Amino acid sequence: MEMLAGLMQGFAVALEPMNLFWCFVGVFFGTVVGILPGLGPSATVALLLPLTAQMNPTAGLIMMSGIYYGAKYGGSTTSILLNVPGESASVVTCIDGFEMAKRGRAGPALGIAAISSFVAGTVGVLLLMLIAPPVAEFALRFGPPEYFALMVLGLSMVVLLAGKSLIKALLAMFIGLWLATIGVDLFTDNARFTFDRVELVDGVHFVVVAIGTFAIGEVLANLTHKDGGQMFEVPKGLRNLMPNWQDIKDSRFAFLNGSLVGFFIGVLPGAGSTIASFVSYGIEKAVSRHPEKFGTGAVEGVAAPEAANNSETGGALVPLLTLGIPGSATTAILLVALIMWGMRPGPMLIQDHPTIFWGLVASMYIGNVMLLILNLPLVPLFAQVLRLPAYVLYPVILGVSIIGVYSVDERLFDVWMVGGFGLLGYLMRRLDYPAAPLILGLVLGDFMERALRQSLMMSAGDLSIIYTRPMAVTMLFLAVAILLTPMFRRANAWRLKAAEQEI
Amino acid sequence: MKRELLLVASLAAAGVPAVQAQGFTPERTVDFLVHTGPGAGSDLFARGVAGVLEKNKLVPQRLQIVNKTGGGGLVAMSFLGEKAGETHMVAFFTSVWYVNPLIRKEAKVTMKELTPVARLILEPSVLTVRADSPWKTAKDFVEDAKKNPAKYKQGGGSISGRDNNTRLVIQKATGAQWQFISFPSGGERVAALLGGHTDLYIMEPAEALEQIRAGKIRVIASLMENRLPAFPDASTLKEQGINVPVIPQPRGMVGPPNMPANVKAYWEGVLGKMVKSKDWQEYLKKDLLDDGFLVGADLVKFTESYTNQMREILKEGGVKVLK
Repeated sequence: MEMLAGLMQGFAVALEPMNLFWCFVGVFFGTVVGILPGLGPSATVALLLPLTAQMNPTAGLIMMSGIYYGAKYGGSTTSILLNVPGESASVVTCIDGFEMAKRGRAGPALGIAAISSFVAGTVGVLLLMLIAPPVAEFALRFGPPEYFALMVLGLSMVVLLAGKSLIKALLAMFIGLWLATIGVDLFTDNARFTFDRVELVDGVHFVVVAIGTFAIGEVLANLTHKDGGQMFEVPKGLRNLMPNWQDIKDSRFAFLNGSLVGFFIGVLPGAGSTIASFVSYGIEKAVSRHPEKFGTGAVEGVAAPEAANNSETGGALVPLLTLGIPGSATTAILLVALIMWGMRPGPMLIQDHPTIFWGLVASMYIGNVMLLILNLPLVPLFAQVLRLPAYVLYPVILGVSIIGVYSVDERLFDVWMVGGFGLLGYLMRRLDYPAAPLILGLVLGDFMERALRQSLMMSAGDLSIIYTRPMAVTMLFLAVAILLTPMFRRANAWRLKAAEQEI
Repeated sequence: MKRELLLVASLAAAGVPAVQAQGFTPERTVDFLVHTGPGAGSDLFARGVAGVLEKNKLVPQRLQIVNKTGGGGLVAMSFLGEKAGETHMVAFFTSVWYVNPLIRKEAKVTMKELTPVARLILEPSVLTVRADSPWKTAKDFVEDAKKNPAKYKQGGGSISGRDNNTRLVIQKATGAQWQFISFPSGGERVAALLGGHTDLYIMEPAEALEQIRAGKIRVIASLMENRLPAFPDASTLKEQGINVPVIPQPRGMVGPPNMPANVKAYWEGVLGKMVKSKDWQEYLKKDLLDDGFLVGADLVKFTESYTNQMREILKEGGVKVLK
C-alpha cells in the first residue's frame, strides 16, 4: 500500500511538465551518446554536472539517470551496423548483431535491441522498486570468494563462445587474461608490463582491444576480399526492416534471462554491465534448443545481452540509493550530484527524500517508454547506413573506430594501440581464432585475479575459503559442469556438428 | 629554499623578465585539473573550490574542471608537467601527488618540479568498524589483534595510500598485526565492511555520519590530533595510548613547472581571500574538513617534511622507494 502511494506520488512528480521535459532531454542525449562509440554515459553525465548544479534535484536526477539508461539503448547501434562496440557492454551484441546485419537483418536486430532494452529497462525499475532493500543486503553477502566464483563461472562461458576448436578459444582467452594483467598491481603497487609508459599504468583500455579486434580486424579481413562494391543487402520495405513476430517469440526467454541476470549482477558493486551481458549471452546459448545458430545471427544473441545491459541500470541504482554505495562509474557521478544538491547519500536517502526516490522510479518507467518511441522509428533509418558501398562503409568504420578510441582518454597512444589490436584481430580471423574469448578474458581477468587474491588474504592463504562458502561453491560447480560438457563424447559430437554448421 | 632558487633559475633561463611582478588576471577559462574521475575525492574538492570562488566572484573567468584520470594521479601529473609556464591551468594535489613519484618508475615529474601554490585543507578521517562488532575503541581492536595475529582484516585502497600507512604505523607502535586488503573503489570498500568481509575501515567523516545514522557502523577513533566536533565521543589514538604520528591528508592547489611568479601570486591572493569567506567556512563545516591554509615558505617546508615522512613510512612498510 505504502509502495503504491509512493509510486503515485512519484508519478505526480515525474509527470510535472518540467520534469517530463528533462526526462526527455536526458533520454535523448543518452541515445545520442550511446550511439557515439567511446563517449560513454559516465563521461557525459560528468560533463553535464556543473549545469545541473542550478537545477532542482529531482529534475536533475531524472535527467542524469535518463542519460544513463538512454545510453544503453543507443550502445547497440554501432555494434550491429558497423561491428564497432559503442559501449563496453555492447561487445557481445556485435557477435550476433553484426552477423544479422551481414545477412540483411540489421533492421530486425536493431529493433529487437530496442524492444529488449525496453522490456529489461522496465523490469529493472520494477525490481528496483519492489525489492531494492533486501537485494542490497544480499549483495553485501557477496564477498571476494563469491566474486571469484562468479568470474570463474563467467570464464567457463568460453566453451560456449568457442567455434570449431576449443583449444583456439582457450588460447585466445589466455591472451585476454594476460592483457588484463598489464598495469599497476593494486596489491603490491608493482607495475606489470608497462615498459615505464604512463599510458600503460592503468592497463590496456577495454574499448581499445574490443574496437581493434572486432571493427578494425573486420575491415582488414574484408580488404583482402576483392569483390568490393555492395557488401550487405538491405531489403526493401518497412516490414523487412522491423523484427517480425517470430523474432519476438524467439527472444521471449532472452528478455527474461537478460533482465534478471542484468539486474542481479548490476546490484553487485564493481561487477557491471559488461559482465552481465557476457553471462546472459552464455546462459542463452546454453539453454537454447539451437545453440549452433549463435554466432551466425541468432536474434536471441542480440536480445539477451541488450536486455542484461539495460536492466543493469536498475540494479546499479540499488546500492546507491539504499546503501549510499556507488557500484559503477556513472552511479558514482550521480552520487556527486546528490552531494552537490546538499543531500547526504547514505542508507537513509530514501527515507529522507521519498519524493526524489519515487520521482526517479516513476520517471524511469516514463523514460523507457519514451526511448522505445524514440528508437523504433530510427531503426529503418539507421539500417540504410548499410546501403553504403564497401569503399565508403569501411573508411566510415575506420573513422568511427579511431574517433571512438581517441575520445576515451584523448590519447594518440590509444590510436596506435587500436591499430595493433586491429592487426591481431585480422590475424586471428585468418587463423580462425575467435575474438570473443579474448575479450572475455580481458574483462574478467583483472576482476578474477583481484577477487582470488582478496579471498586468500582474508583466509591468510587458505584455499578452502573458496570452496566452503555455499554461494561460491554453487557457482564453481556450475562452472565445472559447463567446462566438462565438451568432454562428454556425445556433447562433443554435438559441438562438432554445431561447429560444422557454422562454417 | 632550494626550490625557489630552482624557480628563479628556470625563470631566468626561460627569459622571463624579472619585472613581471605586475598583476595577473586570467583572460580566458581557467582549467582546474584533477587526477580522479568525477565523484572521487579530488574532483569533489576542486568543484567545491570552484563553487566558492564563483559564488564570491573572486575569479573573473569561468573555471572548468578537467579530469585526467589514470595511473593513480600519474597521468594528471605528467600532463601538468608538460605545461611548463602555462598560465591558465592549475591542478589539485593530494597525498598521492607526493607519494607516487617516490615509488613509480613511470613518474616523470615530482612536486618539486611542479609549483605548489597553496595547501588548503587537511582531510580528517576516522577509524570505523561495523556496528555489531565487539570493539568500542581502537585500543580494544589492537588488543584483540595482538592476541589473534593476522585474523582481522582492514579494507582500503592501494598499499601506498593513507589507509595502509596508518595501519603500518599502528602495527609498528603496538606490535599488533592484521591484514590489509585492497579494493579498487570506495564503494567496494564500504560494501566489504558492511558485508562482514573486512573488519576495519578508515572513513571520511561526512560518509561516516550517514552510516552511523543508519546504525550500520561505529567510529572507534579519531585519526587526527584532536577529537572531531562531529564525533565528540571518538577519542584520538593518542588518548587511547596509541602513540603514532598523525598522517595528514593534505589537499591544495599546484601549478605547472615554471609557473610565472605573478600567476602564482595571483592565486595565493585569490585563495587567501577565499579561505576567509563565509562560504568557504560553511563548505568546510558541511563536509567536516579542517582548514589547512598554507602558502609561501611554510608550504615549501611542508612539501619537504611531508615527502620525507611518507618516504620513511613506505620504507618501513616494505614498499620499494625509488627517489
